[in-house]
Amino acid sequence: MASAPHDPSDLSAVIRNRDSRRGRLIAFEGPEGSGKTTQLRLLKTWLTSEGHDVVTSRWASSRLVKPLIKARKRLRVLSAEEYSLLHAVDFRHRLDTVILPALWAGKTVIADRYLFTALARDAARGLEFDWLLHVYAPLVWPDVVVYFALDPLDSSRRVAATRAPRFYESGQDVTGIEDPLTSYRQFIHRVIAEYDQLAVIFEFVKVDADQLVYRQHQQVRQIVQGAARRPWAKFSAEALTEWLTRHPDLAG
Amino acid sequence: MAHETPRPGRLIAVEGSRGADVAREAETLVERLRARGIAAAISRWDASGLFADLLLADANDVVVTPRMLALLYAADLQFRLRWEIQPALAAGGIVVAAPYVHTAVGVGVGLTLPEAWLRNVLGFAPSPDAMRLARERKPRRGWRPKGSRGFGEFCVTVLAGSPSGCKPRAARARTMGWLSESGALTAVRRRALIESLAGYEQPAGSAAPVARADSQRT
Repeated sequence: MASAPHDPSDLSAVIRNRDSRRGRLIAFEGPEGSGKTTQLRLLKTWLTSEGHDVVTSRWASSRLVKPLIKARKRLRVLSAEEYSLLHAVDFRHRLDTVILPALWAGKTVIADRYLFTALARDAARGLEFDWLLHVYAPLVWPDVVVYFALDPLDSSRRVAATRAPRFYESGQDVTGIEDPLTSYRQFIHRVIAEYDQLAVIFEFVKVDADQLVYRQHQQVRQIVQGAARRPWAKFSAEALTEWLTRHPDLAG
Repeated sequence: MAHETPRPGRLIAVEGSRGADVAREAETLVERLRARGIAAAISRWDASGLFADLLLADANDVVVTPRMLALLYAADLQFRLRWEIQPALAAGGIVVAAPYVHTAVGVGVGLTLPEAWLRNVLGFAPSPDAMRLARERKPRRGWRPKGSRGFGEFCVTVLAGSPSGCKPRAARARTMGWLSESGALTAVRRRALIESLAGYEQPAGSAAPVARADSQRT
């Protein structure tokens, strides 16, 4: 096995050299009911047909952390900070075990929600944005963030048509409103307001989620085809350096 | 006689690299306080059960990093603050948090995490009124892989299987170095600490308001 280059400048060279061969990271964001999962499936099918190797990663799905979160959500005992920290652990576990290994191997990764979900929801819960950024640091920037924009009323209507929103999803922990749907209507306003600010900071590409599904898919294809890579060395160097330090076999 | 103004609660942090040393110091401190008629509750690591639950997971899934462990510590500390520490302080009681923030930062630094990041993530925790460093026993030894003993021990237990491995001796040495350096100015002697709590004696026959905090552990 090759020895690990411990000098950070060596790792910088490794990261730079990998950039042209790595896979692309595409993040899908948007409120509940905006059709992200449907669009993810369509994009995955299309990319696969084009010869890409595609990996998907869903929010709060890490095999290690999901059971911890699920048990505590069921008991409704999480504070806003605990909720945020546990999702950050889940995210970092998926980043380290699913997302970065796939990107390194040249696969395309589509994330059904990325850390912006946490930034929007947790800021809507009243947590400080700066603290949230620290919790999720160091960041791995997606090459493109596709944001499925939907009006708060439409989001509420679409969610209500299929099911009752869950306790934390509807923000009942912070609104204190007993009816899940009433709480959701109030909470989603705040979440979308946070998303709108994030869209500017992190350069989201917006898709109108009110359009027909096929029209949205056509737009997503165009966005993905036209998206330039965000160079790892410039945007995600700290996270990549840390990850490679723990995987000396890859850095060699 | 009833107090005219509510007595402020007092938060005492006991820090150290080894779980057993921190637990022993906290128990000794509480015993000495009790001998003077002062009731105090201990808030221990992993009151939330997050770390214990993690040990129950399928070993193949337990791929963790120092950052994940620091975030879990922060989540556990949030739980302790909400269910143990803050209610007891609000009732005017004394809480011995063993360990508290310094241990988490020290262990994180020992595992090569940036100190500034650790301080920022744990920035929600209120500063303790006093801090005491536990006496470090067996200082030349590394952490043993005994996950339930303490945070450092837990970290080496679950990091042992990571591709880059974990060097328990070097990590603990860095932690001890950081703790003694950063705690040298603020840590207090046990006797001085006990004397500073004069006035917190419980009237005979009264229940200690902080005793409930210990029983809330899950």
